[in-house]
Amino acid sequence: MKEYNCKKILLLLLASMLCLFTACGEKAENRQKLIMVTNATFPPYEFYQGSKIVGIDADMVREIARRNNLELIIEDMAFDSVIAAVQTGKADVAASGITVTEDRKKQIDFTTSYVKADQVIIVRDGSDINGAESLKGRRIGVQHGTTGDTYVTANIGEPDRFQDGALAVASLATGKIDAVVLDSAPAQEHVARNAGLHILPTSLASEEYAMAIRKNRPELLLMFNKTLMDMQLDGTMAAITAKYQGEKTKEHTATQSSGIGSWLAHSFEINFVKDGRWKYLLNGFLVTIEISFCAVLMGLAIGFLVAVIRSTHDQTGRHTVLNILCHLYLTVVRGTPVVVQLLIIYFVIFAAVDVSKVLVAIVAFGVNSGAYVAEIIRSGIMAVDHGQMEAGRSLGLSYGSTMRSVILPQAFKNVLPALGNEFIVLLKETSVCGYIALQDLTKGGDIIRSQTYDAFLPLIAVALIYLIVVVCLSQLLKKLEIHLKKNER
Amino acid sequence: MNADTNILEIQGLAKDFAGHRVIADVSFGVKKGEVVFLLGPSGAGKSTVMRCMNYLESPSAGKVLFHGEPVDTSEHGLNLYRRRVGMVFQHFNLFANLSILDNITLAPTSCGLMKHAEARELALQLLRRIGLEDKAHAYPSQLSGGQKQRVAIVRALAMNPEVLLFDEPTSALDPEMVGEVENLMRELANDGMTMLVVSHDIDFAMELANRIIFLADGKLVADASPAILKNSDNPRIRDFLSLR
Repeated sequence: MKEYNCKKILLLLLASMLCLFTACGEKAENRQKLIMVTNATFPPYEFYQGSKIVGIDADMVREIARRNNLELIIEDMAFDSVIAAVQTGKADVAASGITVTEDRKKQIDFTTSYVKADQVIIVRDGSDINGAESLKGRRIGVQHGTTGDTYVTANIGEPDRFQDGALAVASLATGKIDAVVLDSAPAQEHVARNAGLHILPTSLASEEYAMAIRKNRPELLLMFNKTLMDMQLDGTMAAITAKYQGEKTKEHTATQSSGIGSWLAHSFEINFVKDGRWKYLLNGFLVTIEISFCAVLMGLAIGFLVAVIRSTHDQTGRHTVLNILCHLYLTVVRGTPVVVQLLIIYFVIFAAVDVSKVLVAIVAFGVNSGAYVAEIIRSGIMAVDHGQMEAGRSLGLSYGSTMRSVILPQAFKNVLPALGNEFIVLLKETSVCGYIALQDLTKGGDIIRSQTYDAFLPLIAVALIYLIVVVCLSQLLKKLEIHLKKNER
Repeated sequence: MNADTNILEIQGLAKDFAGHRVIADVSFGVKKGEVVFLLGPSGAGKSTVMRCMNYLESPSAGKVLFHGEPVDTSEHGLNLYRRRVGMVFQHFNLFANLSILDNITLAPTSCGLMKHAEARELALQLLRRIGLEDKAHAYPSQLSGGQKQRVAIVRALAMNPEVLLFDEPTSALDPEMVGEVENLMRELANDGMTMLVVSHDIDFAMELANRIIFLADGKLVADASPAILKNSDNPRIRDFLSLR
C-alpha cells in the first residue's frame, strides 16, 4: 500500500514535469526560424547596443535571414559553448568571429570566410614585450576557447583564460597580466577605450573568420554560401564592415584625472544610465529571482520526498528499491559540480528538445538543491524524538499520517536555519546560468562590462544586489523561525 | 460477552534482542474492568512485555490475543487494534508541534472516528475533567510534567479505548506531581476502566491493583492478588517488597 502510494506520487511528479516541458516547447510557428548563437562580447563583430545584439556578424546573418525569409533568433552564450550548440542542434548557425581551423572543421562545417583577421598582442605602454619571442615566460591573457587561446597554448605556454576579452584587457590594465592576445578588430576597440595600452605592430598569426553550421546540413550551408557571395558582389558586406570599423566609441575617454567624485559620477552614468543599461541588471535580477524561487520550491518537493523515503527505509526497512534510487540520486548530484549538471541537462538531456532555458535552469538547480535539502530534512527527521512516532502509532495513526502531522512539521522547524543556508547558496549558485546563455544578474553585469570596458562599477553593483537579496531572505527566514518557535519556551 | 473472558491476553510471549532472549514464555490475561500491575526489579522486562502487547516491539515468539482472537498484524490491522488499546508513556510523548487541544483531537479526527467539532467538544470536556481547560491552546512545552501526563492520559481516552496500557506513568515526574497523575488513574479505575500498569510504585500497586504480575529476568514469577503476593515466601518477591 505504502510503496504503491510513493510510486504513484513519483509517477505523477514525472508526468507533470513532462507536461510542463512539452508545453514550453510548443511555440507558434509561422515563418521558419533561424537560430544563431554568438558570444556578444566581441566588438565590432558582436556586442550589445541597448538590448539588441549588433555587429558585423549579427548584421550579416540578419541580412542573410532577411533575404531568405527566415525569422532570426540570436542567442548569446559563452564562446566555448557556441560550437557545441551548433553541433548538438541547439542552434542552426554560430557566427561569433570564429576562426577557421582544421580541428574545428572536424566538428562542424564552415561557410566561406568573410573576414580576414590577425591575432595581435596588446601590452601596457612602456612594456618591454616587443614581439612573439618576448612573450615566453610572461603571463598572457586570452579569451577562453578563441584561436588566441589555441595559439598561445600551443606555441608559448599556458595562458590565463578569461570568459571575455574585456576581462582580459581589464586585467592587463591593472597589471595582473603582462599581455593579451586577441583578434585585431576587437583589440583595437579595447585599446581605443583604455588609456595606457597599445597593440604591437607585429601580429602573431593571420586567419579567416567563417560561420559554423552543423555537419550534414548541406542545404543550409549552400544557402549561406550563396547569400554571402551575393552580398559580397552587391557591396552589402563591405557596407556592413565599414559601418562598424568606423564606429569608435569615445564614451570612456574621460579619465581618472578629473577627480574621484566626477569620475564616479561619469562612470555611473556610462555603466547604468546610458542606453538604459540598468535594464540589464533589472532584467537579470528578475531572471535570477524567478529561477531561484522555482528551484527552491522544486528542491523542497524533491527533498521532502527523498528524505521521507530514506527515513522510512531506515526505520522500517520498507521501500528498498526506492531507497537505492534515492541513494544513487544523492551520490550523483552531490558528487558533481552544479555548472556541469546544468550543461549536461541543457546540451545532453534536452539536446533534441526546444525548451525554455529558464526551465532548464530551474530543473538543473531544483534537482541539484533537492539532494542537499533531502539530507538536511533527513537529519531533521532523525532529530525528532522517537517517542513522537510511537505516540502517534499507539493512537492508531498510520506511519504516513504521523509523519505528516507530527514528525515533518517538527523536522522542518529543526532544520529551518540549515534550509535557509541552502537557499542562500542556491541563489548565488544561479550565477552560472550564463553558461547556457541565460541573462541572469551576473550575466547582466557581464554585458555592461563588455560594453563599457569598466570592471569596477558593474561588479560592485551586481555584488550589492545579491547582498541585498540575501539579507532580505535571511530576515524573512528569521521571521518564520520566530513564528514557528512560538510553541516553545 | 462473558465477564470472565480476557479482553487482552498473551500466550508464551518471547522477545530476543540481538540474539539474546530478554523475555521468555510469559503468559497472562487481563479481564474487563480489571486493574493489573506489572511489577519487578529493573531490567525484568516489564516495559518490553507491555510494548510487545501493542506491537511497538514485535514479539519473537508467542501470541497476543484480543477478545480471544490473534491480533491482525498487518499494517492496517495494527492501526485498528491500537485504536482500541490506548497507551500512556513514561515520557508523555505529547506532540510537541501541536497545541494541547490538537494533541487530543488529532487521532480521533485523522482516524475518521469523529468530525472536528465533535472531537473538539470531547477534548474540552476531557480537559475540564482534569482541570486543564485553560491550557487548551497552550503547547506541551508550557505545561508541567504532571499536567503533561494527565493530558497524555486523556489523549488516549479520546479514542475511547477498551484497555489502557500505562508504561511507568509516574517515573519521570517530580515527587510532588506524582499524586495528581495517580489520582486520575484512581478515578479511571473506579469508573471501571480496564488497565495494565507497569510501575515501580509498590504502595500504589498494592492499593489499586486487582492482580499483580511479578516478573524477574524476563520470566513470570507470580500472578496473584496483592494480599497473596504480600505473604509470598518467594525470596525475589520478598526482596522486592522489602524495598519500600
